[in-house]
Amino acid sequence: MSPMKPTLPETDVGFDAGAARERLAATRGPVYWRSLEELADSEGFRRWLRQQNPGLGEALLMDRRGFLKLLGASLALAGLAACSHPPQTEIVPYVHKPIGQVDGLPRYFATVLTREGYAQGVLVADHQGRPTKAEGNPGHPASLGGTDIFAQASILQLWDPDRSQSVRHRGVTSTWDDFVAAALAMSARFARSGGEGLHVLTGPVTSPTLAAQLDALGRRFPNSRWHVQRPAGGRNAHDGAQLAFGKPLSTRLHLERARVIVALDADPLSDPAAGVRYARDYATTRSPDRNRGAMSRLYAVEPTPSLTGLAADHRLPLAFPEVGRFALQLAGKIGVAAPAGAAPAAGEQARWLDALAADLQAHQGAALVLVGASQPPWLHALGHAMNAALGNVGKTIDYGAPVEALPADDAGLPGLVAAMRAGKVDTLLALEVNPVYAAPADLDFATALKHVPHLLHLGLYLDETGEVAEWHLPQAHALEAWSDARAFDGTASIAQPLIAPLYDGKSVHEVLAAFTGDDLFEGHALVRRQWRAALPDDKSWNDALQAGVVPNSALPAVATSHPDLAPRGGISVIPAKAGLRGPDAGANIGEAVGPKGAPQGRRVIHVAAGEIETDSGLRRNGEQKAVDSFSQAGSGKHETNAEGRVAEGENGERLELLLRPDPTIGDGRWANNGWLQELPKPLTQLTWDNAALVSPALAAGRKLKNGDMIELRAQGRTLEVPVWIVPGQATRTITLHLGYGRRSAGHVGDGRGFDAYALQTSASPGWAGDVAITATGRHYPFAGTQHHFNMEGRDLVREGTLAEYLHDPHFATAHDRYPPDPPSLYPDQPPGEYAWGMSIDLNACIGCKACTIACQAENNIPVVGKDQVRMGREMHWIRVDHYHVGGADNPRTVSQPVPCMMCEHAPCELVCPVGATVHDSEGLNLQVYNRCVGTRFCSNNCPYKVRRFNFLQYADKTTPQLMAMRTPEVSVRRRGVMEKCTYCIQRIETAHIQADKESRRIRDGEVLTACQAVCPTSAIRFGDISDKQSGVAKAKNSPRNYAMLNELGTRPRTTYLARLRNPNPALEDKPA
Amino acid sequence: MTQLFPRNFGFLFLLGLAVAVGIGLAWVYLWRAQMAYPAGLNAPVEQPVPFSHKHHVGDDGIDCRYCHQSVEQSAFAGIPPLSTCMTCHSQLYTHQPVLAPLLAAFRSGVPLHWKRLYKLPDFVYFNHGIHVAKGVGCASCHGEIDKMPLTARARSLTMQWCLRCHRDPARYLRPRDEVFNLHWHAQDQLALGERLVRKYHIDTSRMTDCSLCHR
Repeated sequence: MSPMKPTLPETDVGFDAGAARERLAATRGPVYWRSLEELADSEGFRRWLRQQNPGLGEALLMDRRGFLKLLGASLALAGLAACSHPPQTEIVPYVHKPIGQVDGLPRYFATVLTREGYAQGVLVADHQGRPTKAEGNPGHPASLGGTDIFAQASILQLWDPDRSQSVRHRGVTSTWDDFVAAALAMSARFARSGGEGLHVLTGPVTSPTLAAQLDALGRRFPNSRWHVQRPAGGRNAHDGAQLAFGKPLSTRLHLERARVIVALDADPLSDPAAGVRYARDYATTRSPDRNRGAMSRLYAVEPTPSLTGLAADHRLPLAFPEVGRFALQLAGKIGVAAPAGAAPAAGEQARWLDALAADLQAHQGAALVLVGASQPPWLHALGHAMNAALGNVGKTIDYGAPVEALPADDAGLPGLVAAMRAGKVDTLLALEVNPVYAAPADLDFATALKHVPHLLHLGLYLDETGEVAEWHLPQAHALEAWSDARAFDGTASIAQPLIAPLYDGKSVHEVLAAFTGDDLFEGHALVRRQWRAALPDDKSWNDALQAGVVPNSALPAVATSHPDLAPRGGISVIPAKAGLRGPDAGANIGEAVGPKGAPQGRRVIHVAAGEIETDSGLRRNGEQKAVDSFSQAGSGKHETNAEGRVAEGENGERLELLLRPDPTIGDGRWANNGWLQELPKPLTQLTWDNAALVSPALAAGRKLKNGDMIELRAQGRTLEVPVWIVPGQATRTITLHLGYGRRSAGHVGDGRGFDAYALQTSASPGWAGDVAITATGRHYPFAGTQHHFNMEGRDLVREGTLAEYLHDPHFATAHDRYPPDPPSLYPDQPPGEYAWGMSIDLNACIGCKACTIACQAENNIPVVGKDQVRMGREMHWIRVDHYHVGGADNPRTVSQPVPCMMCEHAPCELVCPVGATVHDSEGLNLQVYNRCVGTRFCSNNCPYKVRRFNFLQYADKTTPQLMAMRTPEVSVRRRGVMEKCTYCIQRIETAHIQADKESRRIRDGEVLTACQAVCPTSAIRFGDISDKQSGVAKAKNSPRNYAMLNELGTRPRTTYLARLRNPNPALEDKPA
Repeated sequence: MTQLFPRNFGFLFLLGLAVAVGIGLAWVYLWRAQMAYPAGLNAPVEQPVPFSHKHHVGDDGIDCRYCHQSVEQSAFAGIPPLSTCMTCHSQLYTHQPVLAPLLAAFRSGVPLHWKRLYKLPDFVYFNHGIHVAKGVGCASCHGEIDKMPLTARARSLTMQWCLRCHRDPARYLRPRDEVFNLHWHAQDQLALGERLVRKYHIDTSRMTDCSLCHR
């Protein structure tokens, strides 16, 4: 193929803020847009859409001769390809069959997968000993049946052929025996010195077994040190609780009881520990049908859009430090004393403060104030004080003993590096961490390592740390090893292996046992011993394994009457004092005279002056006004011109940089996972890359387009990264996700994106102020999916407010020009025994994309790679579209999952020349792979753009691990075959066969599609719509039910429930 | 006017025709050869142990399900683990040379590799359990296996062959009690079959849906 011409939109289609504003001003009613280019609707963008159909992309960039040559070659080779003989296959029976195994039927095992140390309960399907799919464990408090994207991707991680496969000693393959001999020799040496110079570095630990082992290690070697490396959020929440209560109490939310939620840069819906549970709890409060016409209200104040921000009824973009100042003023308004110094807010912020304070006070005991993990400790403490003042404690929020095991004196990674530089570290055990890559640049961990004689690394991959380690030990995957872990509420679970280690890996328990002088070396024995007291006999042990939770192991909530939880009167600033962050911080809390306004007799939280920044020098009222006017442009006002405003800000303006874990690959540990790399990131829809996310106003001011490279300068360090413009980003905030730029991740992850750790500092791992950017003039090709499968701006998402809904429940279809079932020339299908249908509740969907990746795991959907995504060839059967409405600076966003609509009058079926897509008697629109010849007529004729074509042989048919990973009940598709969502027909057939054998009907809820099962908010319902009592039929009976593109007469079986918002009238923009 | 065709045109034309037909036949032959089962119909394949269904089923009267345990529950009928063979053969014929591979495999823990006779393409999802539950006899697909000293494939397993029954199951069904009887014959198959279709709630409208077998 000739070299590709750079014709993707980001090069010749810029975002024109002026054009966008004009377009919004010229239209009445809400305008839904998918991308900033679409909002601006420039001629260039329309030309690009027309000429460069994103579905064809770069494939068109081929001349006629090249095309004919390829055509001829494919014809000639097509004959050769047929020259294969069906092989003589073999059947290999067991020698001894495992107990309980029925050949050909999957078995499910309860276990837990951890994220940042916290457990998420899963049931893993096991096909003849091969783990193939993880489902949520309905009995586990952090899951309730749903999972996050990482639990789904764990299956691919287990089977990843790039995982470390052998012990390495100084870069040479070695054996476990050699390692154990070395470890015992080291132990003997340390036994003499009391462990002087022995340091252990782990991630957050909730595992009781691991905690006990670390404790035993500490007792055996009193001079050894244990450090915990935390992801980018750091330990602010922990320090905040220490500040507020004198103890690092853990927090548990009861979102299901909250009526008013204020998220101050907090993102409970994607919380690493409990996001799935919190999303479920939150969704229950959003259904007016189930709550007698009531709905919770969510406010988000945040610098960069999060899942919580997308779900919010009101969203206020504020720079990172301003969130704290906003909180101080809010605290003052609800009777929590806050330090003076915060300038009174003006304009939009004042309106927000009044509205929020009134709403919070009207819902005392049913409100919730949440603070983001990367916000400073004092703000967390203030959040606790506000919740106490509102009477929320014990109602919407509970406190319990810390779930994590904490080192006696946790100096963290900075403390470790200081010890390393001082030459005090003789041996470092890096367990399940990768500090050579994932450490702030100012620590310069790699250089500090030169002072460490012995480094031992245990990890799934031979990563950056493993490469320089004296000993690299391959870790057994969570599905290969015995372990245990606690959930966010302390509920403990035993993790049991589903398969023997594929690559000779060992668990962290087994490796530590070599150092603790333990008489047990085997994972099962170590975990069993830990639980001997709580689960004394085999029955209780087996019951706990089967249920996936240890009964009554949740840590009890601290009683609200407990003195630790006595309400705090407020927060006051005391002169900076060393040791405040240490374990004696509690000493700083005592009876004190609070700042003015603190209720008498209430204790006050003291914060050292250096810790809290109340100065509002950064705030400039003019700036905020400009933002307001831009976001109100939709209602016809446009006073300030975006370019002018930023140009004015050029002199002395301060940009800030947020560093956050990537939404799909975390802190980098998932970088080699193709499913997660190719999952479009929420909101940006980028795949395979990270980017400097900038606001439309900043981009317009600096004349930046998507993909333009900029040089980011922060604290004397620079990094060249491409920008991506994000609607809803705070004006001066730049967000860069960590986890990319890996050098030693594996074939999939190496060299992708840009290493944001290069700009991270240990003092402030999540935020850098005073950042400067310069455009370098270079350009970077992104693979975003936001434009793919565009449906030409028709009436696809519908939303209304709670008030509108209560006034007219049928608001969603009130303006339909056609009846629900427009007359059709095509004959109706005869009714079958069942009529399968799906209902997707847009009001519950939070856009987390767990459905996309669960579908990928269930249906053997291949990963295609960045170049193919750029051509619009991603294969996901269910995509999640994001639509924005309102101005570019702070739009509302609606997320819409789009699987196959299973049209009753399906346009795809009429155009297939070979009958490869046909209807079955139960209303499924089938794709018969063995008939398909790949004309792609069906995809062309599909108005919903849900069909996916295997342009190349995407499915890997040679790597044994990836072949073993696949679900055996779903065909692996070949090149040249069309595919699409099947409503998980394999699950329908399994239930059908079971019911038919028992001569009964399939029960409602017996068939769960993969997307439905994984959904944290239960937004997707599936079942027999001919049974009026089924859940899906009832959902479709809702007045909010509407069909997408109803006017086409396709009669889709997948329908949507319109989204509802519950805006505060005081904050609603008045209609123009 | 000169001749348009050379003198031997007729010969060349016929020769060309013959070559074309020959090539066509060769293609058809090659194609058949490529697509055919590795083992032919009714042709036994050499197995690691010359297992005889005739001996075990016909002479000893062992029920199908003694070895093919999951035939009623699962898609896959199940091939017995070696421990099942050893329930008898730990005592019987332990010194016969033909059983040496079995004993060696059992002792070493390295399983036997049987050659597969009934193999459907990957895009076909056949389920034994539902066929047994709805009254399709073993013999309908596997023939009179109790008369086979060495096992051979007894039916073509083409889609056309499957559809003969799926289009009109009444012609082949039998009472559930007789499924494992290899020599059962109905007095009046059509009348019985139609009664069984109703009795077993067989939804004939969906028996030829693509989705029944292809996913």
